[in-house]
Amino acid sequence: MAANWWVSTQRKHWLFTKEKLADIRASLDAVDAKSVAQFPLPEKRLLNIYFNTQMIRLGKRMSIRQQALATAQIYLKRFYTKVPIRDTNPYLVLATCVYLACKIEECPQHIRVLAGEARTFWPEYITGEISKLAECEFHIISEMNSYLIVHHPYRTLQELTPMLGLTSDESSTAWCVINDSYLTDLPLLHAPHVIALTAIFLAVVLKPTQGQGLGASAAGTPPGQGGGQASANVAAATQALGSGVPGNGRINKLTEWYAESGVDIEALVDCTQEIISLYEVWDGFSEKACKEQLGRMIKQRGLC
Amino acid sequence: MASNGSSRQLSNVQIQDPSDEEDSEMEVTERMNIRTRNKFVRGKKLGEGTYAIVYLGHDTSTTPPTPVAIKKIKLAPTSEGLSMDAIREVKYLRELHHPNIISLLSIYAHNSNLSLVLEFLPGGDLELLMKDQSLTYSTADIKSWMGMAIRGLAWCHRHFVLHRDIKPNNLLLAADGVLKLGDFGLARSFADPMRVMTNKVITLWYRPPELLYGARFYSGAVDVWSLGTVFAELILRTPLLPGQSDLGQLSLIAKALGAPSERNWPGVSALPDWVPPTEGGPEQGMDFFVGMFASVGVEGAELVRGMLRLDPKKRVTAEEALRHKWFQVEPRATHPSRLPRKEGGEEKVGRDLGRGWEEDERVRGVGRRLDFGGAL
Repeated sequence: MAANWWVSTQRKHWLFTKEKLADIRASLDAVDAKSVAQFPLPEKRLLNIYFNTQMIRLGKRMSIRQQALATAQIYLKRFYTKVPIRDTNPYLVLATCVYLACKIEECPQHIRVLAGEARTFWPEYITGEISKLAECEFHIISEMNSYLIVHHPYRTLQELTPMLGLTSDESSTAWCVINDSYLTDLPLLHAPHVIALTAIFLAVVLKPTQGQGLGASAAGTPPGQGGGQASANVAAATQALGSGVPGNGRINKLTEWYAESGVDIEALVDCTQEIISLYEVWDGFSEKACKEQLGRMIKQRGLC
Repeated sequence: MASNGSSRQLSNVQIQDPSDEEDSEMEVTERMNIRTRNKFVRGKKLGEGTYAIVYLGHDTSTTPPTPVAIKKIKLAPTSEGLSMDAIREVKYLRELHHPNIISLLSIYAHNSNLSLVLEFLPGGDLELLMKDQSLTYSTADIKSWMGMAIRGLAWCHRHFVLHRDIKPNNLLLAADGVLKLGDFGLARSFADPMRVMTNKVITLWYRPPELLYGARFYSGAVDVWSLGTVFAELILRTPLLPGQSDLGQLSLIAKALGAPSERNWPGVSALPDWVPPTEGGPEQGMDFFVGMFASVGVEGAELVRGMLRLDPKKRVTAEEALRHKWFQVEPRATHPSRLPRKEGGEEKVGRDLGRGWEEDERVRGVGRRLDFGGAL
């Protein structure tokens, strides 16, 4: 992090309303409607889960810091608000996002090593030519208008953990929920602290023991069953958050704190719903389906 | 990027056929690029480094056109992409806006080249100014330059950015006399307190003892030391600590300011490259500073001392330096427009902005190069 969120380029240039984001994507699709029809791709969030899984594999292999991977995911999102995905080789783009994010987060990787690893993971789509990575890096920077600093919700979580007296279970659940927020559009729609507060709220409402699979993205598996009860809890608590109706003691205290903090409650409710609905669509995730549809697109369009 | 249907190819199509440039957001970017590029007219070459060429340019959207410096970053196809210098400069200058920090006016991309449009600072820099024997300046002038430098630095630190290369020739002067911090090629964020950083930063003469002892966790105090040595140099008009090697630098510090020890700097002997000093006495007190820096008065001498404390924890912060009483006592700081100046001219701008991009291993640490040994 550098500078602060309120005066950041992220707030000024990379925050959208839902409607604006939908417009942008619709106009991207409209550019080449034929390809869009010809090469159907999985639902955005499912695709995000897939890309995230791929990035984590690459990151694990090279011991890349989590913050760099988080930044890479934001770059990927930003890039695809500017460039139609069907005009790109997503594997190259995501590898390059990781490469660039590592530079920005001050943990640079050798381009040759990264290209080599990427090639090992996706031999059909990555030739390992470093000039392609370098060229792609330039495009990503250029499409992002050189706004490179990304603020993440993790810092807010770290700061609030002692202040709100979160248990280590709650804190780590919240951390995982933040990880999951990168699978949604939330980072393009809301301030990092709003996402952090949502994650804390969910972590406290859904005790990890109840919510089981909550925040499961790190493992690349969908949240476990038993989500029904969890969703019901969330629904009740969200209502309490919105209306100020007292819930049970701990949650009550938290909602009070939120009310007093002046955070945008509506935004919080919206974030909560986005996260919950992510866990709902997660059941439909199939790595194989994503891989096949992307593969077909890349091959037939000659993108690699 | 894919060879077929890449965004660049698409944008080429768009350039050839502007009639259908309406829909795509990506083309909006390209159009913005073209608009930005057309707004700035590139003039003659001012200087060239390994990674960048600096041109004189003009912003044609104003009347009369305003001069700007255009730094075009060269990209070698076999390279590691954009160099860390360029990345850092773009990253930080995009976010930091302050009257005492060089402003990045715009960035545009064209033909796989990135061009940074920077404000034109024809007034040279503090190094040139000090070297010019025909030029004299007063304590009030020093106060003005130091005030501006500290304000710029405090702004960086307030935003969790370390400059890590403060030295006289990175303190640039605008046409109206205002001083600006330049060259953010070594800057980095220090928001994560537990992350190690390289100690191979800051030009030797201006490098603080904690870095010389290999500290990998450090703070804004490193920049404060550097600026403190610049302050002393402005007063003495000769570099305070012109060492020739890391060890030589440490011995100069010990002889001039006192030998670091557990007594004056608890914890120093635990630093990775600690060697017990064989020269120098106890840390110098006020008497020494008042004697050596008499021309800036007792308050001024106290500020020099505060910035040059051996123990980084005892050093004043940029924020404290800003509120130091030296700035409240007479003489008052000279207004920037009345500061003595040297005609640096265009050539100087080329040198200032292009220099950082050369790998000048003699004066500069290895931090310029990518350090793959670990986090920087």
